[in-house]
Amino acid sequence: MLDIIDLHAEVAGVEILKGVTLHVDAGEVHAIMGPNGSGKSTLANVIAGNPAYRVTAGTIEFEGEDLGTLAPEERARRGVFLSFQHPIEIPGLRMDHFIRAGYNSVMKSREEDQLDPLKFDRLIRAKAKVIDMDATLTKRAVNEGFSGGEKKRNEILQMAVLEPKLRILDEIDSGLDVDALRSVSASINELMTPEKATLLVTHYERLLTYIQPNQVHILMDGRIVASGGKELAREIEIKGYDWLAERQGA
Amino acid sequence: MTGWPSGRAHSNSTMPQNDSQESHYLSMFAAFEKNGASDSPDWLKTLRREAIADFERNGFPTARRGNELWKYTDVRPLANHVFARSDGSNHEQIDFAAYKLPCPRVHQLVFVDGHYAADLSTEPPSQSAHRAETIGHRSEGLIVGRLSEAIQERLPLVEQYFNKQVGSSAFASLNTAFVEDGALIYIPDGVSVHEPIYLLFITTGRSQVVTHPRVLVIAGVNSKSTIIQGYESLITDAKPGFTNAVTEIVTHSGAVLNHYKLQREAANAYHISSTHATIGRDSHLASVALDLDGGLVRNDLCVKLAEPGASVKLDGLYIGEGERHVDNHTFVDHFAPRTSSNEVYKGILTGASRGVFVGQVMVRPEAQQTIAHQLNKNMVLSDEAEIDSQPMLEIFADDVQCTHGATVGRLDATAVFYLNSRGLSTQEAQQLLIQGFVSEVLSAIVDDAIRQYTDDAVLTKLV
Ligand SMILES: Nc1ncnc2c1ncn2[C@@H]1O[C@H](COP(=O)(O)OP(=O)(O)O)[C@@H](O)[C@H]1O
Ligand SMILES: [Mg+2]
Repeated sequence: MLDIIDLHAEVAGVEILKGVTLHVDAGEVHAIMGPNGSGKSTLANVIAGNPAYRVTAGTIEFEGEDLGTLAPEERARRGVFLSFQHPIEIPGLRMDHFIRAGYNSVMKSREEDQLDPLKFDRLIRAKAKVIDMDATLTKRAVNEGFSGGEKKRNEILQMAVLEPKLRILDEIDSGLDVDALRSVSASINELMTPEKATLLVTHYERLLTYIQPNQVHILMDGRIVASGGKELAREIEIKGYDWLAERQGA
Repeated sequence: MTGWPSGRAHSNSTMPQNDSQESHYLSMFAAFEKNGASDSPDWLKTLRREAIADFERNGFPTARRGNELWKYTDVRPLANHVFARSDGSNHEQIDFAAYKLPCPRVHQLVFVDGHYAADLSTEPPSQSAHRAETIGHRSEGLIVGRLSEAIQERLPLVEQYFNKQVGSSAFASLNTAFVEDGALIYIPDGVSVHEPIYLLFITTGRSQVVTHPRVLVIAGVNSKSTIIQGYESLITDAKPGFTNAVTEIVTHSGAVLNHYKLQREAANAYHISSTHATIGRDSHLASVALDLDGGLVRNDLCVKLAEPGASVKLDGLYIGEGERHVDNHTFVDHFAPRTSSNEVYKGILTGASRGVFVGQVMVRPEAQQTIAHQLNKNMVLSDEAEIDSQPMLEIFADDVQCTHGATVGRLDATAVFYLNSRGLSTQEAQQLLIQGFVSEVLSAIVDDAIRQYTDDAVLTKLV
């Protein structure tokens, strides 16, 4: 589903991704781990098409189509979704209005039915229930005054509404207490289907005890330096990243 | 007296730069005194003469010699235009649907090129029975009527309140000298007026006309009312017009007054307005000013919190595009203890437009336990657009909570990407973000029908 080959990307003139190659198939969950500043969010943003990042070499294909020239909204309409590490607050814009506009744009591009406010209200309530989120939050301005946990749950709600094929979740676990983590993970698992793929970006192995990855990749200094099963995450949890850096340097 | 503190407001050293600019108005006045104004009561005749003398002495304001209040706004183009008084013959073909408030009951006075349009003015049906013969729409002592009739009738209220807080700035002086019509609104003590009071000033643009709309509002003790003043141009490719409006407001103890303004004059129109309000004990004024159009726009809004417990909420939105210039000066005078003000003005500037916000807050020594918050936020959406934002805080009391802030920004690229990543095009994203930006101001309008009307006006403008 997702095929990244030798991807190089820079931000503000500085190369951050220095040749990333990654293949994710439908039905799979891949975890990207790595120390702070290694380029995890950069990778996530580049796949989603954030214009702040510039791809300088390599390719990203989604279901066989080159994403390189597609605007971020085109990627979203094809089924790419990014849950932001730091969701944006938008004062004055109601959450349900915002996500209905997004939903309808996606539906329109697929020549499917758009929803009027009443029907959409039913949909968003149902989705909020599935992910165990307080639906009254959807009547508030997007993320404004939300707690860290509420913001993350709000990202998952948007995902539940848009039902993307490729789900890129950037540090969905940060800012969540244990109970919230369990509940959010359960939602992510529940919304997963064999047609979908998930890219989990995380700092901590803990998330992977709730969401089982098929593969774990370690990103350091813009390169994937190791890939393996769940046990690789376990090893990182115990030994840290330094040994990989040394091995890489050697 | 509310107004700009003396010494700041009108520098006597400001001399007319060109005799002919003022002399046009002087000869117009001489003609007006002979016919239009000849049956004014003596007190008004005297006021007119004093006002035209003030105007002659001060001339149009210029940015020269430290005239702080006009340093960002050049009125020479306005002064150089020759405008005529309207004969009032232009209002035949107005399709009113575009200006109708979406509610069944409304007190509505409409003026076309400065002249009262009886056929477009209405009153709530249930109150027709109470209609007084000569003084507009009256019910239980409520007056929503023509100022000209109140003057004709020698209504003591008018003489008592008229021109008591306006000062002698050039434009206000012109208005006083040439005042012909407008509205007198009197809300008796203890009365809540449930219907909006809608005052609409339409410029037809069929000739180069100057109008001097004048509104006098007296809100009685513990009264409640909502007034919306609209300024509209009938056609957009009109002859340039000059609207020179003055509104005076007095609220008595415990009165609550919502005062809204919607200005959508043509791109070549000159719109100068000043609003002067004196707020009584524990009384509240909620002012929302929406300036969506107009060529050269200057608004002065002066609020004196005259008695303990008086409060004001000032919200404003101004939109600049093309070559337009929109200047808002606000002045809040904390004159008494325990007074509070909360001000939020927002601007959106595109094209080569220019915005000005000068927010003056004065807290006098007696005004202890004052709360004053001021915020001016601007979105500048093009390279050529400009904003000058200047808070002016003068605080002479010590037990005071004061904050102020000004921001100037573009659309946040990360926010646009956030919306893009949910499937919205960049254009849709920008629109939603701008709507979000203005919604705080729009939501300050609490009357549902007016809110619906103003939301539509703003959203149409932003598309
Ligand atoms: N918008 C940006 N402008 C400048 N530098 C950035 C920007 N985004 C990321 N970086 C830099 O790129 C590097 C990688 O950042 P990031 O991808 O966020 O790392 P991670 O998510 O792994 O912590 C860091 O050094 C960071 O400072
Ligand atoms: Mg990150």
